[in-house]
Amino acid sequence: MPEIFIDGERYEFEGKPKLLQFILDNGKEVPFFCYHPEMSAPANCRQCYVKVGTPVQNRENGEYELDEDGKRVIRWFPKMQTSCSTEITDGMVVLTQETSEEVARAQKDTMELILINHPLDCPICDQAGECPLQIQTYKYGPEGSRFEVKKVHKPKRVELGPRVTLDAERCINCTRCVRFTEEISGTHQLTISSRGDKNYPITAPGMEFDDPYSVNTVDICPVGALTSTDFRFKARVWEMNQTPSIDITGGKGTNVDLWVRDNIVMRLTPRFNAEVNSHWMPDAARDAYKLFNENRVSRPTIKVDGDNQVKTSWNNALETFAETLEGVKPKDVLVIGSAHASVEENYSLMKVFSTWGVNDYYFVPDVKEEFGDDFLLTDDQAPNTNGVKALGFTAQSTDEIKAAIKSAKVVVLLDGTFIDREVISSKDIKKPYVINLATNQTETSIAADLVIPITCIAEHAASYVNVDGRIQRSFPAKETKYTHRKLDLEMSEGRLDRHGTNFDNWVNEDNKIDCTPVWEFMNDLSKRLGLNSEFGISREIMDEIASSVSAFDGVSYERMDNENGIQLTGISKEEVSA
Amino acid sequence: MAKNYEFTPEDLQEIEIIKAKFPEVMPATLPTLWVAQRRFGHVEPEVQHLVAETLGLPVSHVHGVATFYTQYYKEKMGKYVLDICTTTSCQLCGGYDMLHYLENKLGIKAGETTKDGMFSIQSVECLGACGYAPMMQITNDVYVNNLTEEKLDAVIESLKEGKIPEFEPVGMPQHENRS
Repeated sequence: MPEIFIDGERYEFEGKPKLLQFILDNGKEVPFFCYHPEMSAPANCRQCYVKVGTPVQNRENGEYELDEDGKRVIRWFPKMQTSCSTEITDGMVVLTQETSEEVARAQKDTMELILINHPLDCPICDQAGECPLQIQTYKYGPEGSRFEVKKVHKPKRVELGPRVTLDAERCINCTRCVRFTEEISGTHQLTISSRGDKNYPITAPGMEFDDPYSVNTVDICPVGALTSTDFRFKARVWEMNQTPSIDITGGKGTNVDLWVRDNIVMRLTPRFNAEVNSHWMPDAARDAYKLFNENRVSRPTIKVDGDNQVKTSWNNALETFAETLEGVKPKDVLVIGSAHASVEENYSLMKVFSTWGVNDYYFVPDVKEEFGDDFLLTDDQAPNTNGVKALGFTAQSTDEIKAAIKSAKVVVLLDGTFIDREVISSKDIKKPYVINLATNQTETSIAADLVIPITCIAEHAASYVNVDGRIQRSFPAKETKYTHRKLDLEMSEGRLDRHGTNFDNWVNEDNKIDCTPVWEFMNDLSKRLGLNSEFGISREIMDEIASSVSAFDGVSYERMDNENGIQLTGISKEEVSA
Repeated sequence: MAKNYEFTPEDLQEIEIIKAKFPEVMPATLPTLWVAQRRFGHVEPEVQHLVAETLGLPVSHVHGVATFYTQYYKEKMGKYVLDICTTTSCQLCGGYDMLHYLENKLGIKAGETTKDGMFSIQSVECLGACGYAPMMQITNDVYVNNLTEEKLDAVIESLKEGKIPEFEPVGMPQHENRS
């Protein structure tokens, strides 16, 4: 097998990897800015310099020439090479900054040149804390600047498009954003304008940077030049907790991170998953954080005196729910699941009502024709259509569900978007008693007779099956009134959680929603009704599903975590229809 | 966007010939921008859109190329663009004097255009004619060497009459000695 020596250590390789990627893959480090594994390597930041040599080979017999000590004679490349664009060859010898003073010096000098016109306004820059330029300057850069004259001034606060703002002075012209629009999204909306020290990325005159994937350029920008217009100046990176999750605004199941400060989700960023979304996410999915913070249903509400909804206690809500069911027969109850809710939520609903005697379970897919593209947007607007189907919920058309609602006395609705997406109108549910398990205040929840507030994806650990039949799960990112970061073992702790207590003035209860996971409420309901079905935490529910529903055979949270989601067998690519 | 500008059929034919020279369309950007600048006297954003449309390339690419080269005029310029060199050799030999003389004569500053749209003055970096300093270039074309105030007067007069000064061959000193 071909071999390469990096800093004196021997590595074997296959194929024709590029040097920088190979070094990174082997857990070593070389600083770089313009290189991105998903895009071409133009080698224009010049930061990933390494010293490279190849062994001298006898042309006639192909043998390596040896020196007096019996070591291979190395012919060094006359100049240092950018490792991102250097292809590995057999016997190559590489020295990085770790073993070569010369390389360390070259990288330091390159960094000094990059920093000449960089404003160094880190204290007011959004990128500070997650800035490759900042991090690598600390590690490999010069200690101070020798540059004493005025820096070049360029446009600031340029609104490139509706979602991206440019600060041209901070730009180091790595061209990652330009290559993103050329190679990944294909809209070709950005270019580098002018040349020399005056250049910066910009759209063509009169054009907007309205690419449906535009904010990805903010994520890959190695400095604070491109910033998210929405997130600008909202929070510092080190104040937030980063929790892995799944996008719920589409069927693709894009892997995301939720960034939470004081139980408010501040932003969403893509999380790498080679099988699903690579490094990217659509702009539309980034607005989902508003769903987690705003217009939440907190505390159960109940309708009294006609159409007036008032807040009520959990005990009263549970009692009303149980009494309503006791007043009718199972065949009069219509249970409607939701593709917007997780596998565990739909399953717990189904299980309790099956034990009680309901046989049929329905849901209405949320599909917008012509919405999807070949990339990360899908016609399917819900994250779990395949999941509910696999559990045994039957997909219904709007007419079918309207007819079913007409003949029902009680409707238990997990889907909070029914009226909002015009499956039914509020008139259609005038007659039956409607119980809505809802995350957000919607037209649907307002029309319901009893509203049970439930946790959203940012508050529970639960799984979702995407359009390709891949099951992936979320982690709780924000607390509810009844959970606590330190006690809920699924949750990650942040800096403030470690240093603050509930008595510190920056911690407050206001941002915690008074809601509960569906399975916990279903647990209480089944106890109240005297049914023999109990649930533990969602992790245990998934184990139960795996052993009882064939489509989920072998699925567990451990496997999902280790394998970054599991491809379910037996679920073909979804055929969705409205 | 490219409403106010249009290539003539001859231009389009020339662009077709340019395109045929390259295996891909992208390298045709530079010569096509020249065709446009010759036709319209500049490559304003609208002209950049026209070029992009004609070649079927992203406008951003054409914009990037046009802004990279200072020889493409990104705004309307005078009929004659006078590029006065003010880099080292010319600077030492009176390049700034020539620039200021011209500025006073035409009543405009460097980077501006006269009201009648005849002249624009630019102070530019080295044009590689250091041996004949101070010098200037007229509209990306003819060099006028060894400038003096009298010479500038004469050049302006002839330009006003529509006559572009002829290329002046400058002999090398060693050749003069030999003859």
